[in-house]
Amino acid sequence: MNNQKNMMHTLPVEAYTSKKWFDLEQEHIFSKTWQFAGLIEDVENAGDYISVQAGLNNIFVVKGRDNRLRAFHNMCRHRGTQLLRAVGKGQKAITCPYHDWTYDLEGKLVSIPKKEEEFPDLCNKELHECGLNLHEASVDIFKGMLFVHPDKNAPNIMTFFGEVEPYLGPHIPEELIEYQKNKDEPFYAKEINANWKIVVENYIDQYHLAHLHEGTLNMYDHAKAEFGWAGPHYHFYEPLVPEYLADIKNASPFPLIDKMPENKMGAYVPWLFPNIGITESESAWNTFHAIPLAPDRTLVVIRSKTMNVSEWEYTKQYTKSMTSKVWKTIGNKGKYEGDASDPMASGDFMAEDVYACEQQQKSLSSPFFSVGAQAQKGEFAVSKFQSVVKEWIEKHRNDA
Amino acid sequence: MRNFYQLKILGIKKETEDSTSVAFDVPSELYETFNYKPGQYLTLKFSINGEEVRRSYSLCSSPVLEEPLRIGVKRVKDGLVSNHINDNLKAGDTVDVMPPDGRFFADVKKDSYKTYYLFSAGSGITPILSILKTVLLTEARSYVHMIYGNRSQDSIMFNTELNALQEHYSDRFILEHTLSRPKSNWSDLWKTSKEQSYRKGRVDTDAVKWFVNEYPPYAQNAQYYICGPGTMIENTKKALKSIDVPEDRIFIESFGGSASVDTTKAYENAKLTAHLNGETIQIAIPQGKTVLRTLIDAGKKPPYSCEGGVCSTCMCKLTSGKIHMNNNLALSDKEVEQGYILSCQSIPLTESIEIEYE
Repeated sequence: MNNQKNMMHTLPVEAYTSKKWFDLEQEHIFSKTWQFAGLIEDVENAGDYISVQAGLNNIFVVKGRDNRLRAFHNMCRHRGTQLLRAVGKGQKAITCPYHDWTYDLEGKLVSIPKKEEEFPDLCNKELHECGLNLHEASVDIFKGMLFVHPDKNAPNIMTFFGEVEPYLGPHIPEELIEYQKNKDEPFYAKEINANWKIVVENYIDQYHLAHLHEGTLNMYDHAKAEFGWAGPHYHFYEPLVPEYLADIKNASPFPLIDKMPENKMGAYVPWLFPNIGITESESAWNTFHAIPLAPDRTLVVIRSKTMNVSEWEYTKQYTKSMTSKVWKTIGNKGKYEGDASDPMASGDFMAEDVYACEQQQKSLSSPFFSVGAQAQKGEFAVSKFQSVVKEWIEKHRNDA
Repeated sequence: MRNFYQLKILGIKKETEDSTSVAFDVPSELYETFNYKPGQYLTLKFSINGEEVRRSYSLCSSPVLEEPLRIGVKRVKDGLVSNHINDNLKAGDTVDVMPPDGRFFADVKKDSYKTYYLFSAGSGITPILSILKTVLLTEARSYVHMIYGNRSQDSIMFNTELNALQEHYSDRFILEHTLSRPKSNWSDLWKTSKEQSYRKGRVDTDAVKWFVNEYPPYAQNAQYYICGPGTMIENTKKALKSIDVPEDRIFIESFGGSASVDTTKAYENAKLTAHLNGETIQIAIPQGKTVLRTLIDAGKKPPYSCEGGVCSTCMCKLTSGKIHMNNNLALSDKEVEQGYILSCQSIPLTESIEIEYE
């Protein structure tokens, strides 16, 4: 069989296995879109910064004393050394560790050690007029999340996300607090042995919910799911099952999100192009960041936010939830019988998804692999996503 | 050369005790000529007591609303033209008007996503009101954060219009009033907190810093527009620059003078006494040289590293005389108060100065 011609739906199978496609995506997707960089509270005070890898670019975001964020390429203009490490606080200026070239928080070069002796011919103007200021990037906020774009004249973020905004949940993430099991660590981080698109396709596949997760996500009414596309983004909503809804005030594992209207209690699960999902449920608000590491490896980082109420409220809710009859019949039950270390017996829907993604990736290199059929409604999003990826690459390849 | 056109006054409205707004009837054939950007002004020509006088007044109307061109005019004490307009003009009169002009305007576009910080005081509200209305109406996603300073409740121009805008656009328009001499009445006791909410004081450094901290930008493409009387503009700009707002994001209404630059002149050949490594050095500071460079050129070895006002290696204490630092990214306000200076950035302002490296 000729693997080259074998198609997933819209994309060839090699898009999920080859270095060539990985590089194409890094260049034309992840280096030409608004990229998730964290939550707004990550850069809270003047001088605080974070740096993130966004496709081929490493970009840092720093907050000025005017409370405005600035973004720059994390690269000294002297010899390219990365200036800042992952996170930090209270900077007044940015000094390269290599030769102490120093920039102010506007990215302007303000000092070169021994300039007169070592660089007499560099430029006879002020240092910041020598064309050696940091390369500017863009940063903006969407729904409590920080996004960076490598282009200083990036298309504005609301033009990019505007179409999908009306389909998002009523949650106000800025008012919620981060839920961490361990301090300064995200709620969940795991390297998955699958291409990032396999992970996305799993996230946006409505058809699998009632099957892979028959015992874990059955508190949601999959038959009543509403989903579709807005621009390059996917949106999804499904209500709670009546049984859970009836006892929601007790059964909810965490205090209920106060912005949820009683008549639309459920889960909003959009996917924002290219690689950030949000899971907005009745009791939590999560970001789901899929970071491609290699053609067959993806890092998934989930950050979780819940209601900003006292520890006591959480304790009370936990006790009520534990004793609710709802959980005796739904949720928490693995598809297979067996030890909890088996993802399919764990009763953990994340473990089930990871398992399914990795099992699918394993088959992609088989000469016998092909996609047999596509569920016209429940898997429509899968091929739609592939066409968005394809179109984005084609468009930006031609622009270059 | 721009010409004057005779425009008929549509109406005159008293805005406060000492201000009015004047609306003009622009004939359809002059629509194009009198098109304007929010923030621009009209120049009016009068002949008063046989003398030709011209004055410019900012438009407070918005070019995107179906409303006539309107300017706001506040009485200036002994002002020839402002009092003439307030006292004598009436609907139906014609006035010589030059088409709109001015470099102070907002570039408002439907798809823009910005945070506009508007700082105004007194009659400085006129161009700011035009920008405010135009942004809110045109840019459906942008935010406006506005602080407006006045003497008292009674001197707030366009108060009704501002309240209506605040009500209508409450999700993305923040308005704070600051009053230097607020009137208090017994009846205030019955007012809701919203009705009487204002800050006390002027639009000064404290107010500006408080405002920017209280209302940080959500849309990160922030711009800062300032218009007001006297020193309010320069003070607001200084306050913004002191918290690192980039110059190219600040827009000020200025009918003539340009913004001041750092033109501080050093005292020529000032005498420097420096205590360094147990040695006392006495030397003249040549024009254009910093304290640090003077010492280095004389073969001395003062501590230094970046020479950019950043690292603070060259820090020393000024024990007599005065200096000016061109740039200070290293010392805190407290250290400066204690007399510490960055010798690489210091130029002398007095005949002699004395410093000590610790």
